[in-house]
Amino acid sequence: MTAREVAGRVALYALLAAVTFLVCFPLLWAFFTSMKPKEEIFHWPPTLWPQTWTLENYRSLLEGKDAYFQAGAASGTAVPPSAFFLDWFINSVIVTIGTTIISTVVSTLAAYSLTRFRFPGQRSVPYLALIGYMVPSIIFVFPMFLVMVELRLTDTLLSLILGYVCITLPFCMWLMWAFFRGVPIEIEEAALVDGASRLRVFWEIVLPTAWPGIVAAAIFTLIVSWNDYLFGRVFMNSMENLPLTVGVMHFFDGTHVDWGLMMASSVLMTVPMALLFMALQRHLVAGFGAGAVKG
Amino acid sequence: MDVRLERLSKSFGTNLVLKSLDLTFPERKFVTLLGPSGCGKTTLLRLIAGLERASDGQIFFGERRVDHLTPGERNIAMVFQSYALYPTMDVAANIGYGLKVRGIPRPERTEKVGVVARVLEIAHLLARKPRALSGGQRQRVALGRAMARKPDIFLMDEPLSNLDAKLRATMRGELKRFHLDLETTSIYVTHDQLEAMTMSDLVAVMDQGIVQQYATPEEVYDRPANLFVAGFIGSPPMNFAEVEVERADGAPVLRLAGRTIPAPAQFDLAAAPRRLVLGIRPQDVRMAAIGEPRAIPGTVWMTELIGSERLIEVEIAPKLRITAEVKSEIRAELNAPAAVAFDAAKLHLFDPGTGRALPRRA
Repeated sequence: MTAREVAGRVALYALLAAVTFLVCFPLLWAFFTSMKPKEEIFHWPPTLWPQTWTLENYRSLLEGKDAYFQAGAASGTAVPPSAFFLDWFINSVIVTIGTTIISTVVSTLAAYSLTRFRFPGQRSVPYLALIGYMVPSIIFVFPMFLVMVELRLTDTLLSLILGYVCITLPFCMWLMWAFFRGVPIEIEEAALVDGASRLRVFWEIVLPTAWPGIVAAAIFTLIVSWNDYLFGRVFMNSMENLPLTVGVMHFFDGTHVDWGLMMASSVLMTVPMALLFMALQRHLVAGFGAGAVKG
Repeated sequence: MDVRLERLSKSFGTNLVLKSLDLTFPERKFVTLLGPSGCGKTTLLRLIAGLERASDGQIFFGERRVDHLTPGERNIAMVFQSYALYPTMDVAANIGYGLKVRGIPRPERTEKVGVVARVLEIAHLLARKPRALSGGQRQRVALGRAMARKPDIFLMDEPLSNLDAKLRATMRGELKRFHLDLETTSIYVTHDQLEAMTMSDLVAVMDQGIVQQYATPEEVYDRPANLFVAGFIGSPPMNFAEVEVERADGAPVLRLAGRTIPAPAQFDLAAAPRRLVLGIRPQDVRMAAIGEPRAIPGTVWMTELIGSERLIEVEIAPKLRITAEVKSEIRAELNAPAAVAFDAAKLHLFDPGTGRALPRRA
């Protein structure tokens, strides 16, 4: 390596380190804050590294309502919002997984039929789907709320799942459509000649080939449904049915903000998605890359 | 097992691609479907494979009628133009997939795949994915997939067109060898006449959904059945010129560009129309000395060196040029006077009305 190349490398890594620091600092700050007792959070000058480590914030988030009731809180005092954290977390997980499964399966099958079978509208459907995605979801949310009222689904997790499917499905289908267009039909015909049934061809030949696209579609859906605030805010009202994003807003109660709980919640919300991303990032890049080139 | 097509038709919408074909592919023969793109040859192959449904007519493998069967039930193997290897499977899984689908247990499968791989000399590639293979290696894997299954009929759709010229020449020989080893009826689709000529026992020349001639390569080359076959087979293409039949001293002669040439003895011109199309291959044209009796004079219009041969185009009448393929030592000046002469035995004559070759004397 020449001196010039070494200098280039050093500059590159310095830049990457700076960006990494910028991105990670708030996360680290949230993590350390969540490990501090209340008094230390407002200590001046602020400390990054906690002087006293405590899991108190996590305990009050994770022990749940039952623990609260067992502690004899039936005496009429209001249940603090933190007691609902576990409910919210589970709600978000259910809604996210439900949405992801429905969106991915339906979009994969729809996109496959769009590239393999001839019917009226076969060519226009993918583009129409993309147009639908260009409209901001706030335009959909109130009409959809009225539909949910009509269906008596408001304040149920199913309403959230249906709402998220509506906004993620078109894009997922477009993504998978672009992907399937890149899968040559000859490999399916070769498998038919080899004696496989249509279903077997789809399962053993088509799906493995389309796997990066499916992962990309799934991650997109995961992000949208895990991050959403709008639909959760509009569709849901009882405390125990809220998704995480809406629930944690109850830690701002008008008079004070419980930063310790807030930061602990942030950490718990971020960690699963971060882990998932690390595990799947390779597929994600391949998936979006293929879609971009072929689409 | 022979393959028999009876009144087979196929249309896509209003577009009639195959027009009531009757054709038999004899057992263990290598038959080529040759024709320009859009002639229906690939559609015909796909009908035999079961990847398309015929609009009308029947397909028989031996005595068994197959046109209602799925591709998997026909026990055929097919090599695609793009090879169509399964991208997510390694070479061993690609070759063994047909066996796996048929429920053959793993140990037996592994053994068969091993045998095929050794024959095709790809045993060292078994763990690789298709994208890590060269074009020639992919080709062999595609052949291996066909070979492992012991098919009744072996179908190939332009399998050499994605290879470079040198590899194509080698693979031609290997494919022919492969066909003999496999002992099956092979049907091969190509637009490349060289492949058709070198490999086939029989050639079906197709155009516009119709088989124009079905014969051995020699027959197709030496006795083309009509103007289409005559013009399509042979490189450079056959020269065509309009001639008139006249009588001189009772014997028929042909008038070409104001000159008289004796009528070729292989044709009986008694019942022929007055105007005919004469065909002569550039290889059967020679450069004659100017003033030589029976030679046709003209001027050199263009010359092209093609390696050991040279093509000389001589304009013998306005807009009427005859190409001669001669040894490269023979040189010609552009626009210089020159003369061409033909061997009458090599002439072809066609009826311009029907396009068909005149009947030959037995």
